[in-house]
Amino acid sequence: MTTITELAAELIGMFAGEKRLTLEVLAVVATTGWLVDFMRLDSILGGAVLLFGCLALLIASVCRASRARAR
Amino acid sequence: MTWSAAAPAVTAAFLASLVEVVEAFTIVLAVATLRGWRPAAMGTTVALALLAGLVLALGPLLGQIPIASLQLVIGVLLLLFGMGWLRKASLRAAGIIPLHDEAAIFAAETARLGAQQLRRQRRLQWVAGVTALKAVLLEGLEVVFVVIAVGAGRGLLVPASLGALGACALILGIGAVIHRPLSRVPENLLKFSVGVMLSAFGVFWTGEGLGIGWPGQDLALPLFAALFLAAGLVGGLLARKFRVEFAS
Repeated sequence: MTTITELAAELIGMFAGEKRLTLEVLAVVATTGWLVDFMRLDSILGGAVLLFGCLALLIASVCRASRARAR
Repeated sequence: MTWSAAAPAVTAAFLASLVEVVEAFTIVLAVATLRGWRPAAMGTTVALALLAGLVLALGPLLGQIPIASLQLVIGVLLLLFGMGWLRKASLRAAGIIPLHDEAAIFAAETARLGAQQLRRQRRLQWVAGVTALKAVLLEGLEVVFVVIAVGAGRGLLVPASLGALGACALILGIGAVIHRPLSRVPENLLKFSVGVMLSAFGVFWTGEGLGIGWPGQDLALPLFAALFLAAGLVGGLLARKFRVEFAS
């Protein structure tokens, strides 16, 4: 039973280890989908929103963790 | 299937496996050192069989899902997984969180099994085997995900699996010769590289799943990887700067 619990925890941790980053990435993906599908945004611009959104989130998340641990 | 199409998937699976196999090997070696190779080999074999079964079961199953949905789901999962690794590797490189220390993990695991040895002598072979099984299973889950994620959508499951198996063979071969935890493997560098590759794959497939036609198709992947590499480095530099500023 412990092994199954640990496996479940490992699986969740693989994708949602950092909850805030997970939610932010999902929000960027959802926004991109909404812009491309419903707002008829040019596909390349939609791609740019997705790519640069994720890059910005990564840098912001590293900086946030660094500031939190430094305090 | 061409080598240029398979190379990114094989490389990602190989490097991700390298990181995870090193971590699993440390625990298996601790088990083998205290209780001999039999329970260590038994636990490892059972775990590898379970993991192989998972790949064989899930791989063809994923082939039944419409390609756009599959790309979107796997792309998002790759993004979450890859960016998580990249974030952690940047923080480790900046000295914000400690590096993975295989020698310390080996010592801790040996001490834990040693303490159990005093408490329950009879069950020890079983406990040692289960410890090895759990280590290989838990670390192997991430390898299975990477193999399936980079391989299933494009019929590259076999090359990606071979990449992962190649890493297993390499680490086990080196480990069998030196009989020590592989503490000199540049694990954070590997984790950084895998995070960059998986994040690039993640953006590419998520975009394709959302109906975005990337200019240059597959050629966009190296550009995405370069941008994630730059973002990881910038994040690490800024993190180090915050640490120094706060300390002074």
